[in-house]
Amino acid sequence: METAVKRMYEGLFLVDSGEAAANWQAVNGAIEKILSRSEADIVSMKKWDERRLAYDIGRKSRGTYILVYFNCDPRRVGAIERDVQLSETIVRVMILRTDKMSPEDIARPTPAMVMEQDEAAAKARMEADADRRATEAESQEAAVSGEDEFVDTGEEEDIADEA
Amino acid sequence: MRSTRQSSSKGGRKKRRFTTSIREQTQCRFCREGTKYVDYKDVETLQKLLTHRGKIFSRKRSGNCAGCQRKVKTAIKRARFMSLLPFAS
Repeated sequence: METAVKRMYEGLFLVDSGEAAANWQAVNGAIEKILSRSEADIVSMKKWDERRLAYDIGRKSRGTYILVYFNCDPRRVGAIERDVQLSETIVRVMILRTDKMSPEDIARPTPAMVMEQDEAAAKARMEADADRRATEAESQEAAVSGEDEFVDTGEEEDIADEA
Repeated sequence: MRSTRQSSSKGGRKKRRFTTSIREQTQCRFCREGTKYVDYKDVETLQKLLTHRGKIFSRKRSGNCAGCQRKVKTAIKRARFMSLLPFAS
């Protein structure tokens, strides 16, 4: 009996943004179910990006892309595509052979990850700025109050002199 | 026949020399970077090879070599299917 040779594939699944935002687990589950039906081994699965579609598909203008790398029997790729067409959660899929993909290529950050990192960095920077400003304001206040005290003492001295 | 060809080439030689002096890049943008595969998910790169209406630039306009233009063509068509790039607008 011929043993099934599995090849590495890259699949980009397009799902509706609203649905993905509302029920992320269910969308992931639907993709995993379709892949497991064809006995595919998932190597990695991550959100690629959430963006505005170049053209409306089924009256939807925004979509979430999910990038999946999996090992699968070449004869069962057609079955995956057919299952996607029958599925109501997944709008479109693009499955390509990626035999020469290195682990670094698979681990490369997606636009969604890059955006999250940027946002986190911006937030951290904002917080650091706010902290610095707060400390600066505190030190300034302390300096001003110190000056006030000095002025006050001066006035007092003047008054004392006049007396 | 030969003489006419020579004369025509003589006439065109000035022009050709002018174009070669203007052209600094001898390789296309993908050959220069050594890319073997044009990724359809790299929308930013592909966007530069489209008109504002979404048509693919000619080889003459984009400066791509024949092989890279073919890779770009496939990548753009894949991106269009996934609604990353427009078919026309």
